[in-house]
Amino acid sequence: MSGLSVGMLLFLVSVGMSLIFGVTRIVNLAHGSFYMVGAYLMVTLVEVLPDRPWAFWLALLLAPLGVAALGGVIEIGLLRLIYRRDPLMQLILTFGLILVIGTLVLLAWGPDNKSVSRPEALAGSVRVFGQPFPSYYLLVLGLAPLVAVALWLVFYRTRFGMLIRAATVDREMLGALGVNVSALYTQVFMFGSWLAGFGGALAAPTVAVALGMDSDVLTTAFVVVVIGGLGSFAGSFISALLVGLLQSFGILIFPAISIVLLFAIMAVVLIVRPWGLLGRPEE
Amino acid sequence: MRPAGWLGLVVLALAVAPLALPPFFLQLLTEIAIVGLFATAFNLLMGFGGMVSFGHAAYFALGAYAPALLVKRAGVPLLLALPAAPVVAGAGALLFGFFIVRLSHTYFAMLSLAFAQIVFTVIFKWKALTGGDDGLLDVWPPPLLKSPAAYYYFTLAVVGVSVLALRAIVDSPFGYALRSVRENPRRARFIGIDVRRHQLVAFVISGAFSGLAGGLFAFYNGSVFPDFAYFTKSFEPLVVALLGGVQSFFGPLAGAFGFKILEWLVSRQWPVYWPLFLGTIVIVVIVLLPYGFVGLVGGRPWRTRPTTRG
Amino acid sequence: MRTRVKCATPALAVLSMLLVLITAVGPAAAQGRSPIRIGEINSYSGLATVYTFPYKEGLLMAAKEINDAGGVLGRPIEFIFRDDKLKPDEAVKAARELVGQEKVDFLAGCISSGVGLAISAYAKEAKTLYFATHCQTSRLTWDDGHRYIAHTTNNVNQYVRALAKKAATLPYKKWAHISPDYEYGHNVWDEFIAYLKHLKPDIQVMQENWPKLGETDHSSYVTALLQSGADAFISSVWGAQEIAFVKQARPFGLFEKVHYISASVGNPDELEPLGKEAPVGAVTPGFAWYDDGMQKRHPKLADWVKKYTDRTKKDPTLGASWGYASAYIITEAIKRAKSAETDKVIAALSEGYEMEFPWGKVIMRGCDMQAIPPQWVGVVKMNAQGKPVLADIEETHGKDVIRSCDEVAKLRAAAADKKK
Repeated sequence: MSGLSVGMLLFLVSVGMSLIFGVTRIVNLAHGSFYMVGAYLMVTLVEVLPDRPWAFWLALLLAPLGVAALGGVIEIGLLRLIYRRDPLMQLILTFGLILVIGTLVLLAWGPDNKSVSRPEALAGSVRVFGQPFPSYYLLVLGLAPLVAVALWLVFYRTRFGMLIRAATVDREMLGALGVNVSALYTQVFMFGSWLAGFGGALAAPTVAVALGMDSDVLTTAFVVVVIGGLGSFAGSFISALLVGLLQSFGILIFPAISIVLLFAIMAVVLIVRPWGLLGRPEE
Repeated sequence: MRPAGWLGLVVLALAVAPLALPPFFLQLLTEIAIVGLFATAFNLLMGFGGMVSFGHAAYFALGAYAPALLVKRAGVPLLLALPAAPVVAGAGALLFGFFIVRLSHTYFAMLSLAFAQIVFTVIFKWKALTGGDDGLLDVWPPPLLKSPAAYYYFTLAVVGVSVLALRAIVDSPFGYALRSVRENPRRARFIGIDVRRHQLVAFVISGAFSGLAGGLFAFYNGSVFPDFAYFTKSFEPLVVALLGGVQSFFGPLAGAFGFKILEWLVSRQWPVYWPLFLGTIVIVVIVLLPYGFVGLVGGRPWRTRPTTRG
Repeated sequence: MRTRVKCATPALAVLSMLLVLITAVGPAAAQGRSPIRIGEINSYSGLATVYTFPYKEGLLMAAKEINDAGGVLGRPIEFIFRDDKLKPDEAVKAARELVGQEKVDFLAGCISSGVGLAISAYAKEAKTLYFATHCQTSRLTWDDGHRYIAHTTNNVNQYVRALAKKAATLPYKKWAHISPDYEYGHNVWDEFIAYLKHLKPDIQVMQENWPKLGETDHSSYVTALLQSGADAFISSVWGAQEIAFVKQARPFGLFEKVHYISASVGNPDELEPLGKEAPVGAVTPGFAWYDDGMQKRHPKLADWVKKYTDRTKKDPTLGASWGYASAYIITEAIKRAKSAETDKVIAALSEGYEMEFPWGKVIMRGCDMQAIPPQWVGVVKMNAQGKPVLADIEETHGKDVIRSCDEVAKLRAAAADKKK
């Protein structure tokens, strides 16, 4: 069951990465860094806000917004300069961002490990099928699908979503039709960053907030996105759940090779069906 | 001065360096030569072949472990063991490359990364063979080659021959065919070039020479660890090649030089800031890089060099 | 455009060579020979900084004290720091520079065991004495030990055995463990279970858990432990991973059902962030300088702590004490040798000596040049302010549990055989 919640958190991070790729064709390696910043912002906000029950929820609301702002700055300040370039160059640039953001986090928050406590109401556990199950994971299991549904609504029921879907199919045509593609890119990137930040903020009470959490989540999110299909929303969802469950049970079934299992699956998917479970084949 | 003149000056400077420089700088130059070979081999694939791999650390590591294991476990002398580096790395490149070259672009890069992480994990966990995360220690060259100056000349010789070989490959009909594949695979196929085969051969050659660089590095360093295969090592030839210029054959070598010196100087003064510095370099290089990869995706024609010297 | 790129390449090369020449001549000419220089290689960037920053403060605090008191043999000591970026090959490169270029008298440092082993291999080759000052693998002075390495801090064998000794007094017969799947994790488990069985032969191993190093989700391990039938378990998961493990295990009520013995949760870098989520009742080693019992046993401890906090505005960690002790151990060896010459210092170390620190006696054992400090095992409790601390500290000494010189000789012989 906790595999499901882990999967949900993974989904939040991965869908942002998938979304950004789908529209801008950039694999945003700095996505893990956004997740980390979201978690660290959560730490600071909880510290700074008064010790009341609502503080946690306010922090959860504000932290991802901070990350979205960061994403916006990066998109406008940097990524826009290189949109005409090969997407691989853009990918490498995001790798540079990992190093920059990582050091800035160290400088801003210091080297010490940090932590965010679960809100009092969710600190314990409930009985599910006779086994104790952490209450906080119920929050995750509740919130993440809500976000997923909200995303679905945005993609399929709003104009913005329609533009995003159109952009994943044919950017040039969209520009030719008079849409401000450049602004769309910024919005999408900020949206994706928001998702990563939200994932980080939501996950913060379940892990340690420490340096290195960016690469931990990046590798897994990367695998999830590849397996599900870059650019596919439903693909990310299914694949995130699969990976979350696999990590939980794989440990019990194949302990010796569980590390390599994910990358082996990623390799197999890339060999057999590169565009992932539900992705779209490139021309 | 004509390019040949510059090149001659550099070669001369390198040859007499042991007379002027203290041992540490000879060792630094040795490392630069090794990284330069790694980056040049990598650039065969990236600059000339148009294929960006994120998993070259795997071949570097295979090339480091193979001769190290032969020397340590089987007592094979270095000169006989070192050829195992390109052979084993090339075999690995053949095995993985077979699958990787069938993809292109982002997917190519991602699969190469996945395979490299698998190699890393296998090295890490197969403790009985590789020593796991304890690594292989006391991997030194024989007494004849052990002094900084001796290993420096040895490395220069091996790297020099390899660079000449790579240069010959790049300037051969195969090299030109590879370039045409990079430019426009469909047109290349039309004129009868077997695209996949050319890409795979380039991949294997690139992997083999990367492995040779790894082998040289093993004995330079004195120990071999699994993190030679970790994906962060894969970014080193990439950054170096970008810095030096992927459009020129000697770009990666120059990039290796500038990068390693920079790394040494910055890291000893402000260690905390080195990752920030490196990230900024990467970003600045990409943003300010003259043509970048536009030429590779068919935007600008790649101007081939009018002469073969230089 | 093309020619600009082409000509830039060799020009860049020549320019850089000039730069190298200048830097080559520069520092070499500026060397004074008066201070005793120690090249220290450690991880000063990235995620290890949580440990190395306090360690460095301890080291520098001791260095200042030593120099203020007149130095060693009338000469000041000077530490020159390099970053290994947590990579063994970077450490070797730094070692080469420090020895070959900066001409340091000794090498020191390391936090990661791999780095320590790599520097050690280099030191042996370069015949330079290397003081391993922070990393803890026992291999340094034992399996891979040699003449040119001394270990100035605790090693895994000692503190794990001290922990096992305490565990043997607890009424638990059925044990499980959770250890990260790499050298350190295996090392801790092997040492722990071997010594525990030696003290209490009737214990049973119910389950083994080997999460990967840096695992983020331990829920299935927690469930497994709950179902293992064990009444106690030992964890060598550390740092951020242990924080995550504890946070994930708590809601399952793991610690109430299976007693928690940890190799590291008592360290402030883990206890402080955990705060009210800290695992109360966990048995673990740690440097509890704040404990009344500790301060009573070691009257000078409070002053040392005050000096440290005045200097750094932060509380000391175990690493800080190791940095501090290392500087003194190194200078003591030089003092006894009456020289900074490598061979003489090695001879002084090989004779062995003892030193008193604010937290007790540290023995430098001659047969393997391994430091033997006091060992503390305590229990996690909440103090009056609601913050987690270590209490009920039981102190033993490493000398009561450490492998004997004979055993070490056997280990070295066995390792040498394996290498053939």
